[in-house]
Amino acid sequence: MKKLIFWAILLRLLVAAFLFHPDIKTYNFQASFLKKGVFNIYTYLVDNKKSLTLKDDFVYFPLTYFAVGGYQWAASPIMGTGFDSWLADASSTSVVGNPNIFKYLVVLKLPYLILDIWIAFLLKKFFDKKEDGEKAFIFWLFNPFTIYLIYAFSNIDIYPVLLTLVAFLLLKKDKLMQASAIIGLAAGFKLYPILFIPFLVLKGKDLKEKLLVGVIPTLILTAIVLPFWSPAFIQSAFVSGLTTRIFNPGFSIGFGESMIVSLLAMSLLFFYGWLVEKKLNLFNYWVILLLAIFSFSHFHIAWLLWIAPFAVILSVKKPQLSLPLFLIAVLSLLIPMFYEDRSMAISLFRIYSTWYDLIPTPFAILEKFYNPYNLQSILHSIMAGGSLIVGYKLLRREETK
Amino acid sequence: MIWLTSLFVIFLVFIVPGMLASTLDIIPYGDQPGYNSNQRLAVYGERTVSQKFISTEKNLAAIGTSIRNPNLKNKKEIILSLYDEDKNLVRTLTLNGQNFQDGDFVKFVFPEISDSEGKIYTFTISSPLAGPEETVEVFYFGGATENILEYTYDEKSYPGGLPIVTFYKPNSKLEVIKKVYSNWLSRLL
Repeated sequence: MKKLIFWAILLRLLVAAFLFHPDIKTYNFQASFLKKGVFNIYTYLVDNKKSLTLKDDFVYFPLTYFAVGGYQWAASPIMGTGFDSWLADASSTSVVGNPNIFKYLVVLKLPYLILDIWIAFLLKKFFDKKEDGEKAFIFWLFNPFTIYLIYAFSNIDIYPVLLTLVAFLLLKKDKLMQASAIIGLAAGFKLYPILFIPFLVLKGKDLKEKLLVGVIPTLILTAIVLPFWSPAFIQSAFVSGLTTRIFNPGFSIGFGESMIVSLLAMSLLFFYGWLVEKKLNLFNYWVILLLAIFSFSHFHIAWLLWIAPFAVILSVKKPQLSLPLFLIAVLSLLIPMFYEDRSMAISLFRIYSTWYDLIPTPFAILEKFYNPYNLQSILHSIMAGGSLIVGYKLLRREETK
Repeated sequence: MIWLTSLFVIFLVFIVPGMLASTLDIIPYGDQPGYNSNQRLAVYGERTVSQKFISTEKNLAAIGTSIRNPNLKNKKEIILSLYDEDKNLVRTLTLNGQNFQDGDFVKFVFPEISDSEGKIYTFTISSPLAGPEETVEVFYFGGATENILEYTYDEKSYPGGLPIVTFYKPNSKLEVIKKVYSNWLSRLL
C-alpha cells in the first residue's frame, strides 16, 4: 500500500514539475494579492488593470481566491524572493526559462496532490465491499486521465470535485441536508455544483426538506458571494465566458430564440426524475448531468475532472461500462487537443524548450488538409453518442447507490 | 492499469519532449530582443527598411521579426531581400500581407546558406505595391547588440534595429534532441 502511494506520488510529481500550463501562473499572480491584504480581488484587478503586468480577470469564485492565496502565503518562505517577480513576469520566454520554475510548479501544485490522494481515500469509503474500495483506490491513483488533467493543466477544479465527492458520501448515508450544504460550499469555488440542487430538491422527503435542501446551498453560496457582489465580480466570474459556456445557444427556433441543448438535456433529466422516476438515484443523475454537459457544450478540458471520481465509481460498480467510459474519456481529451490553442498541447512542454513555439499546433497541421472544426465535431458527436447510451443504461433503474 | 499509467507518465515526461524536438527543421539563435511597441517604422511603396546583422551560425535558414499590419489592410506582397557583405542578392522571399495578423511574429524562411557563420548580411523589407493606407510597420530598438548591428530608414543609418531572430538548419535531428534534453537537465540539476 505504502509503495503504491509512493509510486503514485512520484508519477504525479514528474508531471507537476515538468508540464506547465500558463493558467497556474495567472491565477497565482492574482491570488498573490491576498498576502498583500487585498480582500476583493475582483474590483482590485479591474481598478488596477493599467498598472498590472498580467491583465486577466479573476474568473473563479471567492473561495478559490482564498484557498490559492492562503496556501501561497503559507508557502512563500519556501518560494524565495524571486517568486513574486516570476508571477508578475509577462514574458512567456523568461517565465519558462527561470531555473526555479520546477520548484515553483511542484510547490504550487502540492495542494492538488494532497486533495488528489485524499480523493483516492474517499473513493475507498464509497464502497461497502473492501475489494471494490481498493479497486476504486487503484483506478483513481493509476489512471492517466486524472494525472494529466490535474497536474499538466494545474486544475484548480479539484477543490469543488473533492467537495462534490464528499457530498455524495453524505448522500450515501442519507444525510441530504449536509450534502446540500457541501454542494453550496463547493459552488463557492466554482459554480457548476449548483446545477445539482434541483435534483437534491427532488430527493427531499417532504415539502419542508425539499425547501431546506434548496435553500441551504443557495444561502451558503450567497454568503460567500455577497461581500464581492459588484459589477467587477459579475463580469469577471458570475457571467464570465467560462461560467456561461454551458448555456451557449444551440439551434435557432426562430424570432431570435434558440434552444440551449445542454439546458434542454438538464431539463429533460430533471422532469424525468420528477415525473417518471419512482426511486431517484442521485449518483446516476449526477453522472448523466455531467455527461450531458460535456456532450452538448464546448467544454474546457479542466471540466473533465468534475466527472472523474464518479466515473471511477461507475467503473467499479459496473465493470461492463469500464471500456465505454475509457473510450469516452479518450475522446473527451482528444477534442481540446484540436482547439486552436497552443496551451492545449505543445505549449505544455515549453519548460523543456521554447523552440517548440516553432512547431505548428495539431489544429494548424490538420488545417492544411482537413477542416479541424469538422474533426472536433466528429469526435464530439461520437463522444456524445457514447455518453447518451451510458446515460440511458444508468436511467434503466440499475442500482448504483 | 499501474503499468499503463506509469508508461504514460514516463512517455509524457521523458519521450514526448524528444519527439517534439525531432520535428524541428530550424532552430532559433537566442530569444527575440525586447522592444518598445511605440517605436515603429512604416513600410510601403518606396519606403523600405534595411537591417545589417551577423549570422552567428552556419546554415542560416530564416529571419523572423514582429510586424504590424494595422487593421489587416495590407494584402500586398511583402518582400524580404537578403544581401551579403558585397551587396550581392543571395535570397529573396515574398509573403502576402493577408497571411499574417496584426503584430504577428513573421518568419521569412528560405533555403539555408551553408557558409553563413560569422558573416555580415543585410536584408531589406519592402512592400512596393502598398500605398500609404496599406502600410505595414516593423518595430525597432536603439543600440546594437551582439548580432543586430544597424538599420537604415529614409536613407539614414542608426545603431540597433529590428528585434529579429535568426534561424538555422541543424546538422541533424539528433543534435536538436540532444540540445533540448541538455538544456532541460542543465536547468534542473
